[in-house]
Parts: sequence; structure tokens; C-alpha cells
Amino acid sequence: MSQLTYAQIDQAIINTLTPPRKSYWLIVFLLFCGVFVGAACWVYQIFIGIGVAGQNNPAAWGTYLINFVFWVGIAHSGTLISAILHLFRAGWRNPIARAAETMTVIAVSIAGLFPFIHLGRVWQVYYMLPYPNQRMLWPNFLSPLVFDVVAISTYLTVSSLFWYTGLLPDLAAVRDRSTGLRRKIFKALSFGWTGAHEQWRHYGRGYLFFAALATPLVISVHSVVSWDFALGIVPGWHTTIFAPYFVAGAIHSGLAMVLTLMIPLRTMFKYENIITMEVLENVAKTIVFTGLIVGFAYGTEYFIAWYSHNSIEIEQFRWRALGDYRWGFYFMVLCNTLLPLLFVFKKVRTTIFALFVISLIVNFGMWWERFVIIVGGVAHGFSPHAWGLYAPTIIEYGIMLGSFSLFFFLFLLFAKHLPSVSMTEMKETAHHE
Amino acid sequence: MNSAETHILGLFKSEDQAAESIRELAKSPYSLKRTNTPFPSHKIMDALKLKPSKVGLFTLVGGITGFLSGFLLAIFTATRWNLIVSGKPIISLIPFFIVGFEFTILFAVFGNFIGLLTQARLPSFKGLDQYYDPRCSGEYFGVLAACQAGQQDGLKQLFEKQGGEIKEFNETI
Repeated sequence: MSQLTYAQIDQAIINTLTPPRKSYWLIVFLLFCGVFVGAACWVYQIFIGIGVAGQNNPAAWGTYLINFVFWVGIAHSGTLISAILHLFRAGWRNPIARAAETMTVIAVSIAGLFPFIHLGRVWQVYYMLPYPNQRMLWPNFLSPLVFDVVAISTYLTVSSLFWYTGLLPDLAAVRDRSTGLRRKIFKALSFGWTGAHEQWRHYGRGYLFFAALATPLVISVHSVVSWDFALGIVPGWHTTIFAPYFVAGAIHSGLAMVLTLMIPLRTMFKYENIITMEVLENVAKTIVFTGLIVGFAYGTEYFIAWYSHNSIEIEQFRWRALGDYRWGFYFMVLCNTLLPLLFVFKKVRTTIFALFVISLIVNFGMWWERFVIIVGGVAHGFSPHAWGLYAPTIIEYGIMLGSFSLFFFLFLLFAKHLPSVSMTEMKETAHHE
Repeated sequence: MNSAETHILGLFKSEDQAAESIRELAKSPYSLKRTNTPFPSHKIMDALKLKPSKVGLFTLVGGITGFLSGFLLAIFTATRWNLIVSGKPIISLIPFFIVGFEFTILFAVFGNFIGLLTQARLPSFKGLDQYYDPRCSGEYFGVLAACQAGQQDGLKQLFEKQGGEIKEFNETI
């Protein structure tokens, strides 16, 4: 990275904005088809009713909320990388910060869709909003679900503004190297940024405050998501460890998604000199750390179930490991804590193929973790006569396909139309080296 | 701005050269107008002896407003019904603190963003039309200075002494 000049950094990143090949548009089209399938399934559900999904009594929470928690989790590492590592002055985060922030904005937007989908009668969502109305109704701010509405909308707003603020100098750099319509568009998008010292003076301060505010926010958001469960008196949910457990899990899955996105991006845009092996290695090392925290949380849950002598809790955790959803439990333990430990070997964490495969495995495992927690809790509660099982329907699979397609669709559009690496931060890094 | 002023932009490959020329300008009869750099340079900021930004004040005001708004909104909505849930008080401070916290962050960020835009005078497209060189968002550090008519050579020499490339703007305003 250090051998790159400012001009080479600009060139390498601006070259990625050249008109894409047909193969790019083909992938975009296929992803759009996936989005269309998801949208069609949702429309079908709106017309027919929420009964087309697999939720039942007692398993009233299914894939919609699993995907909600999954995407909120994915959104977390973007802020970890852009805000927390910025405060710690970890220079290695600079090449991946922009893409990770974009991932955050897209993931939290998708996450925000799932409560609407889960509502069934989505047109009544305005009942959740606090405004004077003739119904004389107000939301109950004692409910963690209302905390969640506030937290997620705050997170979406903050991460979007943080992302856009970081983009301003780079939009100006693209504007200055463009002509015609593109120049006009980037001129408007960059707000007329010139890199004047007065602008940098306020920008530096503002960006620092953004990072300082986003750091506690990111921790609070997944804590609030965890309280959707932990504040419910449901075996397997009602535990104080949930907030740190969820935050660590969120960062774990988000970092894995960063690798999943960065590795193809690095190859596609020939970013080997920018997203160096050292950067990927550092992400892998952080995954080992978060994986150990997650593993510790899994162990703690079992320890507390045993130590509490609470028969309901003991039964819940016995069933988790040996019951109907035991495969999900084995996936989560294997994929989230054991396999990522392979990253302790330098040979593994410096092999692109291994990094990519393990990142996919962690994503898979983290999805199953949410399944085990969410469905497992409600399906196997206090009363044996009220135990039940849940399986997603084709409509839920369609909506899930739609959400994953939308994520990659939006990310691909971003990668080819906006600077996917921060030129400003890369120049700062090159300068300090 | 003096109507007889001529503007000359010194373009430097390194921030050290730009910072040094700023220090030289301070000792000269020429007036420094602006610098344009591809990234925030601490050396240039130090040479310019800038005052700390006031963006933080906007952030603080936003944060305080947010905390009060969130906390009071939660209290207000609870008192509309006076419904006791699980024996908890109507005004439950701990859960309402969570709402207050989220609103603090939200409004502080609004304040921060508004502060950044108003203090940095964005959006503004005037700077692009006046004495701006697009290379300053790439690899050059630009130092714009003005001099009286007839003093151009001295100013050019000052920049050239630091290894700068010269760009003279002939129009005067």
C-alpha cells in the first residue's frame, strides 16, 4: 500500500467507475429477479394474509424476525470498522471502511423491512408512530419493541449520514475527473466540496463526533434488539447475557460479511495493492476474537442453566442440543466458534480461498444461531402441552431470497457507481506511511 | 476583496512544501486566501493557526435537545393512559432512559450534520468557479494567495522557492 502515490490511488479507484461489462449487468439482472421474487411473495402475503407464512402458536416468531436480527447483525461491523476503529486510529481499516459502511446502510435498510413484513397488516404500521391522533393512542415506551423502532430508525439515519459525510471529499474527487453529465451529477452530490481548509477544519471535527456518537449507538442497537427477547419471560431468552452476546455475535457476522464482500471486490477491481492481505488478515484475527466471545456466551448459557437448578431452563438447553433443532445448534457451534479458530493459523488466514469459505460458513452459522434462539425459545416454553415446531414456507423462503438478492444487488450498484474505497483515507494512510 | 488584487495558486506535491509556503506568506505582504488539499493536513492546519471548529456546539445542543425530547415523549405517552404494567410505575425512568439515549444520539447527529454544513458553508458551488484547480482533490496541495497588481513576480517566486507549480488567475473581481 505504501508504494502507491496519491495519483495511483485516485486512478485505481476511479478506474472502477468505468462503464461495466455485460457480465456485471447480467449478475445485476439475476439479483433483480431475486428481488422481484421476494417482492412478489410479500405482495402475495399481503393479499392472502400472514397465514401463508409458517408462524404458528406457539412459534409465532419465524424467519422474518430471524432475518431481521441477521441483517441488523450484519450492519454492525460497518460501524465497528468505520467508527470504533477510526477512534482507535487503526489504519488498516481505511481500505475497507467505505464498503463496510455501505454494507451497514444496505443491511440496516433491509433489516428494517422485516418488522413490516412480519406485521402482516403492514398498512397499519402507523400505529407504532408517536403522533397526536383521533384514536387517542400512543405507543407504549415500556415495550422493548418500541425501543427497537426508535433504535433501528436512529441507526439507519446515523449510519446513512455518517456514510454520506465520509463520501463528500471522494465525490468531489470523482467530479474533478469527470466530464459532461457525470460531472454535473457528482457536482451536485459533492455539495461543491473543494477541500478548502475551512471545510476540512469542520469536517475533521464533525467526522470525529460522528464516530464518537456511532460507537455507543452501535452497542445500544443490538443490545436493544437482544432485549426484544431478553425482556420476554421465555426460557432461553430471559437472560442478562443477551446484550453483550448479541453485540459480539453481530460484529462476528458482520466481519464475516465484510470478508464475503471484500474478497470478490478485491479480485474484480484488482484492489490487491489497496485491500492488502494484511487488511484481510486483521479482519480474520478480529473474527477469531469475536468468535471466542460468542463461544464463551454459548458456554455461559449452558453453565447458568445448570447452575440455576431451574428445571425449565435446563430442559430448554437440553432440547436445544438434543431436540428437533439440534442440527441448527450444531451448525452454530461449529460454524461460529470452532471453524473460525482455524484463522489462528497464519497459513489459513493468508489464503484467499480459506478466508472466503470460512466467511461464508460464519454467515451460515450466524443465521442458524438466530434460528435456534428465536424459534427454539418460543417453540419449547414452559408448558409441555404448548410445545410446538416451526418450519418456513415457500413464501418465507421467497422473501428471504429477495432480501439476500436485494443486499447484493444494492452493493453491486454501489461498487460500480460510487468510490468503493475512500480515496481521502487511503491518501492519509499513504501519507502517514 | 480589493479590486486590484491578482490571485495566484501555488500547487505543491507535498504538504511540507505547502505548509512552509503558508508560513512564508504570513511574513510577506501577500495575503493568503485559501488552501485546497486532497485530505486534511495537520501540518497545514498548524501553519494556518486555525481556531477549533464550533461544530461540537451544534452536536451538544442537538444531544441535549434529543435527550429531553426522547425522555419527555416517553413520559408524556405513558401519562396519556396511566396503565400500570407488572406493578411498574407509570413513569419508569430506566426504560425511558433508553428512549432518551437513542434520541440523544439521533438529535446530536442531526446537530453535528447541520453544524458541519453550516460551518463549512455547504452546499456552495461558488468555490468551484473561483480560483480552484481540480488537481487539488487529487495529488496537489493548493495554496491560494492574492497580491496587488505588479507584485505577481514576488509571489510567484515565493511559491517557486518552495517547489510549487504556479497557476495565475488573470481575472480580478
